[in-house]
Amino acid sequence: MDGIEPPASGMKFFNSESLISFQTVVMSTVELYSPTDLNDALRFMEHDGRNVTVVASGTDLLPRMRRKQISPSILVDISSFKEDLRYIRQSDGTIRLGALTTVADLLESPMFHGRLSMIREAGKLFGAPQVRNVATIGGNICSASSSEDLIPVFMALDARLKLVSARGERSVPLKDFIVGKRATDMKPSEILAEVEFSLPGGHSWTAYEKLGRRNMLIIAIVNEALSLTLEEDLRTVRSAKVALNRVSGKIPALAARTNDFLEGKMVTEETIAQAQKVLASELSLTSDFRGSGAYRKEIAQVYLKRLLERCSWQIGGHS
Amino acid sequence: MNKRGITINVNGTEHPLQVDGSDRLIDVLRDQLSLKSVKEGCSTGDCGICAVLVDGKLVNSCLMLAAQCDGRRVTTLEGLLEDPTMKRMQGRFIANNAAQCGFCTPAMLIASWDLARHSTEPSNEEIKLAISGILCRCTGYYQIVDSVREGCEGGRR
Repeated sequence: MDGIEPPASGMKFFNSESLISFQTVVMSTVELYSPTDLNDALRFMEHDGRNVTVVASGTDLLPRMRRKQISPSILVDISSFKEDLRYIRQSDGTIRLGALTTVADLLESPMFHGRLSMIREAGKLFGAPQVRNVATIGGNICSASSSEDLIPVFMALDARLKLVSARGERSVPLKDFIVGKRATDMKPSEILAEVEFSLPGGHSWTAYEKLGRRNMLIIAIVNEALSLTLEEDLRTVRSAKVALNRVSGKIPALAARTNDFLEGKMVTEETIAQAQKVLASELSLTSDFRGSGAYRKEIAQVYLKRLLERCSWQIGGHS
Repeated sequence: MNKRGITINVNGTEHPLQVDGSDRLIDVLRDQLSLKSVKEGCSTGDCGICAVLVDGKLVNSCLMLAAQCDGRRVTTLEGLLEDPTMKRMQGRFIANNAAQCGFCTPAMLIASWDLARHSTEPSNEEIKLAISGILCRCTGYYQIVDSVREGCEGGRR
C-alpha cells in the first residue's frame, strides 16, 4: 500500500454498510389500536394472538422500533387512560402510583421530599425536561433494561406491580418481574396498571446516584439506589436494599448478597469497606461503549459508600 | 394499512389529518403542515431539536405518535411569531448572536419561551435546566443562556 492510509473515519458514512443501516431507521408501518377505555384495551389484547405491544408515551418504544429492535404489528395506545392510570396516592403507609404517572408528576408531587427523596433525585436526572413531561413510570419498568433509571429505585423500595388482564389481576414483586434483559414476566394479555410500595418506616432514608457522560439526556453507566432502615440505636442496619442498573450482565437487580451482608451490621467505615468487597464479588458486569465492566464495578463500590453515608447521616439527624 | 382521521389543533387552527399508525407528530407537522421550524435531529429523543408544545408541555415531537395527539393542542414556533414574549426572545437571540448554524434555534426559542411564561428572573441554573434537553452542536451556550435571561427579564413590568 506504500503508506497510503485508508480513508479517514469521516468517509465511513458513505460506505454501503452505513447506507443500509441508514435505511433501517425508517419505521415499518404498524397498526395502532386506540381503545376507548382500559376494559376495551384488555378485551382487545385477550382476543388477539398477534404481535401486540402496549404503547404509553412511546419515548422508549419509538426509537427501538426505528432501530428495528422491536417490530410489533399492532400497538395498543393506552396513553389516553389518564383518569384510570395516572395518580399518586398514599394510604395506610402504602404508596400507589398509576402506571401512566409521568416522571414530571413525580417531581411535582410533594410526596417525594424527605425520606423518599431518592425518587426526586432520580427524576431530576431522568432524560431531560421534554422527556420527563411524557415518559411514564410504567413504560420505564416494562422496558426492562439497564437503561431504565427508575427500576433500581423501585427495586430498592421492594415495589410490587399490579398487572391486569381481562381475566383479573395479579401482583408481582418488581424483582421477580424482570427476568432478563428486556424480558419480563408479563403475559401478552396483561397491562401494568400500578406500582405499589410501603412507605419506609422508622429510622429510614433513601438515596440515589447516577453516573453518565453528561447530566441530561444520558443513559447511565451506573445507577444505584439505596433504601436504608436503621435500628433504634441509629447505627445498626435493620434493612438495606441496594439495587443497581446492572448486577449480572445488563439486568437491573437488587444486590442480594450485599443487602444480606449489611443486615445487622453497624454502619462503620469498616462495614462499608467490607460491603464494597461483597458488592464487587457479586457484580458480574460486561463492557460496552459506555464503560468497561471494571469501571462500572469501581463506580458501583464508590456509590455504595456514598449512599450508605448519605442515608445514615440523614437518619442520624446529621450527628 | 388503513389511514385514520384525526384532528389536531396546531397553532390555534383545527387540522383534520389522515395518518398511519406509525406516523409521528414530527412527520405530520413537517410533511403535511409544512411547519419546518420543527427539525429532525437524532430521531431518538437524544437531541431535542424537534421540541414543540403539546397541551402546553414541552415534548419531543419525534417521540410521539401523531395519532396520540388526536384532539390535542400543538404549538410550534410558527404559532408564536406574533407573541410579544417570543418577539423579545428572538430579538435577544439575534442581538447576542445566539444562533450560529441555527439548527437548534427554533427548539431553543420554544423552550425559552416556555421558561419565560413561568419565570421573569430565572437563575442561570434554571435557564440551563430549561434548555438541558436541547443540544447545540455549535456549543454556543453562553450566548444562548445570556439571551434567555435577557428575554425573560424583559417580561418584568
